[in-house]
Amino acid sequence: MLITIETRDLVRIFKHGDKEFRALDKVSIQVPEGVIYGLLGPNGAGKTTLIRILTTLLLPSDGDAYVGGYHVVRDANKVRKIINLVSGGERPGYGILTVRENLMYYGQVYGLSWGETKRRIEEVNELLHLDEFLDKRLNSISTGMMQKYALARGLLNHPQILFLDEPTLGLDVQNARHIRRVIKHLIEDKEIRTILLTSHYMAEVEELCDIVSIIDRGRIIATGSPDELRKMVKDEIIYNIDVRLSDIDRIRILRRFRTVVGYTIKTRQLTGEARIRMILSGEDIARIIRTLEEENIHVLRVTRDEVSLEDVFLRLVGRGLEDEYE
Amino acid sequence: MSNRLSWFINRFLRPAFGRAYVRIKGGNREPSWILWEILLPLIMITSVIWAYENMGAPEFFKGFVIIGGAMMSYWYNVLWGMGRTLYWEKETGNLEVFLLSDAPLPSLLLGMALGGMFNTTLRSIAVIILGVVVFKAEFNVDYLPLAILIFILTLVALYGVGLALSGLHIVYGRMGVRINELLDEPIMFLSGQYYPISTFPMALQYIAGLIPLAVGLDGVRRALLFSEGIDALWLHVLVLFILMIVFYPIGLRILNKIVERGRMDGRLILRWI
Ligand SMILES: Nc1ncnc2c1ncn2[C@@H]1O[C@H](COP(=O)(O)OP(=O)(O)OP(=O)(O)O)[C@@H](O)[C@H]1O
Ligand SMILES: [Mg+2]
Repeated sequence: MLITIETRDLVRIFKHGDKEFRALDKVSIQVPEGVIYGLLGPNGAGKTTLIRILTTLLLPSDGDAYVGGYHVVRDANKVRKIINLVSGGERPGYGILTVRENLMYYGQVYGLSWGETKRRIEEVNELLHLDEFLDKRLNSISTGMMQKYALARGLLNHPQILFLDEPTLGLDVQNARHIRRVIKHLIEDKEIRTILLTSHYMAEVEELCDIVSIIDRGRIIATGSPDELRKMVKDEIIYNIDVRLSDIDRIRILRRFRTVVGYTIKTRQLTGEARIRMILSGEDIARIIRTLEEENIHVLRVTRDEVSLEDVFLRLVGRGLEDEYE
Repeated sequence: MSNRLSWFINRFLRPAFGRAYVRIKGGNREPSWILWEILLPLIMITSVIWAYENMGAPEFFKGFVIIGGAMMSYWYNVLWGMGRTLYWEKETGNLEVFLLSDAPLPSLLLGMALGGMFNTTLRSIAVIILGVVVFKAEFNVDYLPLAILIFILTLVALYGVGLALSGLHIVYGRMGVRINELLDEPIMFLSGQYYPISTFPMALQYIAGLIPLAVGLDGVRRALLFSEGIDALWLHVLVLFILMIVFYPIGLRILNKIVERGRMDGRLILRWI
C-alpha cells in the first residue's frame, strides 16, 4: 500500500495577541493511494488548517508533512505541481470574464499551452457538464454552477492528489448530490489518484470516504473505515426521540441517567419538533420515556436507529458534531 | 531546449500571458473605458495646450504636453495598477489560488503590467493621433527608434518599481492606497508631465532621475521634439538601465519576504477588510 499523504506530529500554533492557540496538535495521518480520505470534525476543529499546510499555503509550527513523497516545506514547488485544492464557497477568477475565459487563464497559470488548455476544458466539461454556463460571465452564474466551475479549475492541471475543503458547502440537496457523484467518479475512473476531503456533514463522509479521521480541537481522535468506526459503538443502542420544540429546555434531565452516553438535539423549525438522538449503554428506553412524560415532556415518536458516524463522534467527544452550545 | 529556458517560458511567461489576457479582455469588455482612458486625458491635454497658447508658448509645447499626457497614464495603469490589482487579488482569494500553483508571483505581476501596458498603449496612441490631428502637433519621426528604446527601458524599470510597490500594498493594505495618493502629487510634479524637468533646480533634477518615468519622459521628448540622438541621450539610457537592474531584485526580495511571512502567520490568505 503506497502512502501518498503523510503527516507526523504536525503542530500549528496561531498567536492571538500574546496567547497561543493550538489549531493542530500532533496530527499524524497516513493516506494510501487510491482512496477518498475524509476529515470529519466540527467548526474550528482544524480541518482547513491541516489542508492549508498540506497544500503549502501555510507553514507548520512543528512536525513534518509529505505529499506525494515531497516535503511540504522543503519541496513546496514539487508538491504544488501534483496537487490542487478546491474549497467550498470559493469564487476565484474574474467576474467580467466568462467561465471558459477564466479556465483559459488558469490553464496558463498551470503551464498548459493555449491548445492544451482548450482540450483540457473539453475533457473537464465531459466530466462535469459545464455546457450550459461555459460561455456565461462568471459574475452571472448560480452557486451550484460556481462550485462546478471551481471543481473544473481544480482538475485543469491533472492533479494526482486533489484536496477538497467542504466541497458541498452552501449547496442545495440536488447540487450537493451531483458534486458528490462527480467526486466518486473521479476516483473510480482514476481521473484523480487520491482525494482528501473535509466535511462536517456526516452523511457526505459516510457516502464518499473509504477512510475517515475524526478530528476535534486540533487532535485526531479516531481513524478507520466508516464500518470500523461504527463498530466503536457496537455495544450501545441508538434511539431517536421526537418531542415538541417548546419542551426542549427541559431535556437536560436526560443527564440524570447513567445509561445515556450522550445525546444531540436537532431542531426542525418547520414542523415545530425536535429530534433527540441518544446513545444508551443499556436497554433503558422504557424508563427514560416514563421519566420524560412525568416531566410533562410529550414524546411524539420513538424509533431505534442504526449507528452512524455522528454517534461515533458523540461517543468519543461527548457532544454532537453540529452542536456548538455545549 | 534547456531546462531553464523551458521553465522560463512555461512557468513564467505563460502565467504572465494568461494574466495579461485577463486584463486585456476584461479591460475592453465595457465600453466605458473610452471615457476614462481617452476622453478625460484629452480634455486635460486640451486645457493645458490652450493655457500654453494663451501665454504665447512656442509651438513645440503642444507635442510636449501630448507626450506627457500619453506617457503619464503608464504611471497609473502599470505601476499603481500592479499594486492595486495585487491587493485586490489577495482580498478576493485569487492570490491564494495562484499561490497553489508552482508559478512564481512575479510572473503574475508581469502579466498585470503587460496587460496594463497593452491597454494603455492602445489608448496613448489614440491620444497622440488625436493630438496630431486636432492640434497639429509635430514630432520628428526620424528619432522614433531611439524614443522607442528609451520608452521600453522605462517600462521595464517601471515593472521593477511596481514589484516593490506591490509589496507595499500587501503589507499595508488600505494604507498602501493612501501612500499612493500621498506620493502621486510629488511624483507628478517631479516627472514633468506638462513642463520640462530641466527647468527644475539641479537638486530636484537628481531626485527626478530616480523616477524612471521622469527620465523616460524627458528622453522621449528630447528625441521626438528636439531631434536629439544617442550622443545626447546616452545618460538617459544608462540611468534607466541602472534603475532597471536595481529595482527588480529589490522588488523581488520584498515580495518573497511577504509571501513567506504570509505562510508563517497565515495572514496572506486571510481575507480581512
Ligand atoms: N490565520 C489564522 N490566524 C489565527 N487563527 C486561525 C487562523 N486560521 C485558523 N485559525 C483558528 O484555528 C482554528 C481552526 O480553524 P480551521 O479553519 O482549521 O477549522 P475548520 O475545522 O476548518 O473549521 P470550519 O468547519 O469552521 O471550517 C480556529 O479556531 C480558527 O479560529
Ligand atoms: Mg474549514
